[in-house]
Amino acid sequence: MTLTIAEDNGTLTGALAGRLDTAAAAQFAKDMQPLIDNAHRHILLDCERLTFISSSGLRLLLTLRKETQSKGGDITIKNVPAEVKQVFTITGFYTLFHFV
Amino acid sequence: MERQLTLYNRVEELSRLTEFVEQLCDELSLDAVLSFNLNLVLEEAVTNVVNYAYPPGEEHTLTLKAQAEGDMLTFILRDQGKPFDPVAQAPDVDTTLPASERPIGGLGIYIIKQIMDEVSYQYLDGSNELTMKKKISQQQQTETTDTE
Repeated sequence: MTLTIAEDNGTLTGALAGRLDTAAAAQFAKDMQPLIDNAHRHILLDCERLTFISSSGLRLLLTLRKETQSKGGDITIKNVPAEVKQVFTITGFYTLFHFV
Repeated sequence: MERQLTLYNRVEELSRLTEFVEQLCDELSLDAVLSFNLNLVLEEAVTNVVNYAYPPGEEHTLTLKAQAEGDMLTFILRDQGKPFDPVAQAPDVDTTLPASERPIGGLGIYIIKQIMDEVSYQYLDGSNELTMKKKISQQQQTETTDTE
C-alpha cells in the first residue's frame, strides 16, 4: 500500500495504491499524517489504484474525515473501483464522503 | 471440496490468508466481486481473532476451514482464545449517523453479516467457532472453457 501526496493547484492530493487492509493500516496511519496536518484544506483522495479496503482502512479514512470536519476542510474521493465502492456503501460510509 | 489453513495470531499472517482465499476462489471459478467479498469477510474475521482473542504478546494458532458442497460455501474459523460471541456481542452499527457521530470501530462483524448469508457462533471444546456461509449461484462462477 502506498500513499503519494502532492500539491495540485492549491488542492492537496493523496493517491492510494494497493490494499488498504489490516496489514497496511499502521503504516498508512503514519503516511497520512500530512493530510491530518492539513485537515483545514481541500483534500482529494485518488483511489484509482486502490484494490482493496477493509474496516481497518475505513477507520483511518473516517479519522481523516472527522479531522477535516472539525478543522473546516473537506475531502473528495475520486476514481473508486466498483468493488471498493461497495464496501463504502455496505457500511454507510458512502454518505460520509463526497465522491466524483 | 475442503481446504484448511492454519495461521499464527499475527497481522503479518494475513497475507497468507489472502493467498489462501484467492487460490480457493480460483479453484471454484468464483467471479471477481465474490472473490473480493470473501477476501474482505475473512480478513475481518481473522483480524478480530488476531487483535482480540489472546493476551498481547502471546503466540497462538487459529484455523480456517473452507468447505464447498453443492452451491454452499462454508468457512469455519476456530481459535482457542477467550470465549467471545461476535454475532451476539458486536455493537450495533448505525450506518445513517453523520461522520461526527460515527464511532471509529465496530465494523468488522457488521461487514461479515452484510455479505454472508448465514453467520453463527458456538463455543465448543474450548474453542471459539465462527461459521460463515455463502450461497454460490451459477452467475457467480465464471465460465471456464477448455482450449486445446
